[in-house]
Amino acid sequence: MPEANIAADKQELPVSTLVSFLDSMLQRENLAPEVVNPLAAVREYFAKEQPVDGPFLSVLLRTQGHKPEAFGDALLCLAAQTDQDFEVIVIDHDSSPEGAAEVARIVASQPKSFGSRVRVIEVSGGTRSRPLNAGIAAATGRFVAVYDDDDLLFGDWVEKFHEFADLGGNKLLRSQVAIQRARPEVWRDNAPGLRTLSWPSAEYPKTFDQVAHLQVNQSPFMSFAFPRVLFHGLGVKFDESLTVCEDWDVILDGSRLLGVEDIPAITAIYRRWEGGPSSYTDHSQAEWLASEQRVVDRNNATPILLPMGAVKQLRELRAAHDVWEVYERLVQSRSWRWTHPMRMAIHAAVELRVRVRSALARFRR
Amino acid sequence: MTRSLVVQSILYGNEADGIVRAAEATAHAASMARTADLVGEWSLAIGDCSEVPVLSEANLKVIGGYVERAGGVFVHEVFGENLGHGGGHNRLAKSTSSELLLILNPDALLGPDTISALVNTVVDGVALSDGRQLPLEHPKDYDPVTGDESWASGACSMTLRSVFDEVGGFDHDTFFMYCDDVDYSWRVKLAGYRVAYQPGARVFHDKRLTVDGDIIPSAAEVYFSAEAAVLLAHKYSRSDISDRILDSFRGNPDETYQKVVRVFEERRSSGKLPVQIDSKHRVGQFINGNYARHRY
Repeated sequence: MPEANIAADKQELPVSTLVSFLDSMLQRENLAPEVVNPLAAVREYFAKEQPVDGPFLSVLLRTQGHKPEAFGDALLCLAAQTDQDFEVIVIDHDSSPEGAAEVARIVASQPKSFGSRVRVIEVSGGTRSRPLNAGIAAATGRFVAVYDDDDLLFGDWVEKFHEFADLGGNKLLRSQVAIQRARPEVWRDNAPGLRTLSWPSAEYPKTFDQVAHLQVNQSPFMSFAFPRVLFHGLGVKFDESLTVCEDWDVILDGSRLLGVEDIPAITAIYRRWEGGPSSYTDHSQAEWLASEQRVVDRNNATPILLPMGAVKQLRELRAAHDVWEVYERLVQSRSWRWTHPMRMAIHAAVELRVRVRSALARFRR
Repeated sequence: MTRSLVVQSILYGNEADGIVRAAEATAHAASMARTADLVGEWSLAIGDCSEVPVLSEANLKVIGGYVERAGGVFVHEVFGENLGHGGGHNRLAKSTSSELLLILNPDALLGPDTISALVNTVVDGVALSDGRQLPLEHPKDYDPVTGDESWASGACSMTLRSVFDEVGGFDHDTFFMYCDDVDYSWRVKLAGYRVAYQPGARVFHDKRLTVDGDIIPSAAEVYFSAEAAVLLAHKYSRSDISDRILDSFRGNPDETYQKVVRVFEERRSSGKLPVQIDSKHRVGQFINGNYARHRY
């Protein structure tokens, strides 16, 4: 477990990284009086949850109307949640007329107690970020989670988020997600279906590592619930210039500012598609690299907050880097290269001794 | 073609809220099937095997309201004894009449068009069809076009009542908790009918994984699945397999497995083992400890 999470566990109640930072500032002696009050006011703002009229959770369900069977699965997983304190905002993004009609039909077919909490908004154009920003604008919940239309939820996805949100702290909540391989399949009557190909496996890191996430995203989108204050207090938005990696961008932004509370339970399944359209086939390698670079550049161009424990982690990484550099210098040195024949001769002698001993042992038997 | 339907569920110590929510989904799915002229008269029959009845008067009123608004009849029976899964379904089936039976886990949530999809599948020689479970789909293999498969899961399967009666329903004398669905499927096949998977019929069956991605079965699940494994192999004339399993259990000091051996031997000595069938191994599939070829 990263140090940051160990440190957070020692606290009685979760506190966001931002509030923790402000607390450390306010504890300084001789802080100028003109600074204390504004800092305390900001601390107060971010320590408390913003009051909302809506439910606990707003679920943003993105769809392009390509996979009606998977979309039906996604809605059934929501209808079956043990905690029903949520709304669903289906964001139909650039569906064909047939796809949009199918999405509308499936939503309209839901039972009343669930269907009355599902809204459909249609969004045209833009990247994958645009429907998310539209969803954020429409969301009325205390927390927001994003769930794509081809993934699955266990029955306690909302319940676990709710349980940990009620501990307070306004942090991002991160549960565990399993990975399951699937591929499109044609069913009877030529119906477009799907076939699961593997048992769900727990491959993602069990705890959130802020420093590791700067290198690469290690958390699928639906593993997170984001507190409302992230969007409506800190002004975080999805970057509409990104064609992909929009999830990583906001996860980085949110986790740096508010920190992450880990939930020790698998609550969802990420379907890894083999064949058929997915974000990996809809976007070129160049797009992925460009988006990744933009996220890195944006984070590199701003000062960042890191959670408690990150200094020790960075020192260890730096020490490991230094050892690697020493090794690199050694193997590239002239003396190392000149002694190569000698090392090879020693290696061959050792190998020969092992073989002779082995042969003798066989002979003795 | 409109057919009559009874949806059957058996309770044993379940959580009432989940049963009520599932009943709403069932009534909604039945209503959709009625609108599509696939189902005419229908009823929801819930049998309770619990020591203390699960559903309160308020729960019964809510469920009755869902069913009534969907044009159905609600039947609730408290058995006052634990009849097991198959025994409970057999008892319920005797008290109702319909062309189709839907065997359903009491807390399983049906998708809106699940009943319609299953009704459309139980045709052309198919006498038994099960739906696709979410979020953990069963790994048994199936033909994607015909749906043909080794067995249909009792978590959500629709069968022709005439065939249910013809083969004698579930064998609850042999299978208390597990494999009664496998056994029923194979007897349906022996009677000359098809068993088909309908992946378009989705049903949410609330199973969970540990944080490492495993399922941890309860002590009762371990015992009854072990007992059923031996009895199923014996019944389908695979004494080679039942003997091998019993030998491995004898070598296992765990009391669970020792008990399975004792109970099996007691059945043998008192002549209560099931009569062996499928001597030519036409339907019984025993593959790597499973009762079908698994996709993974």
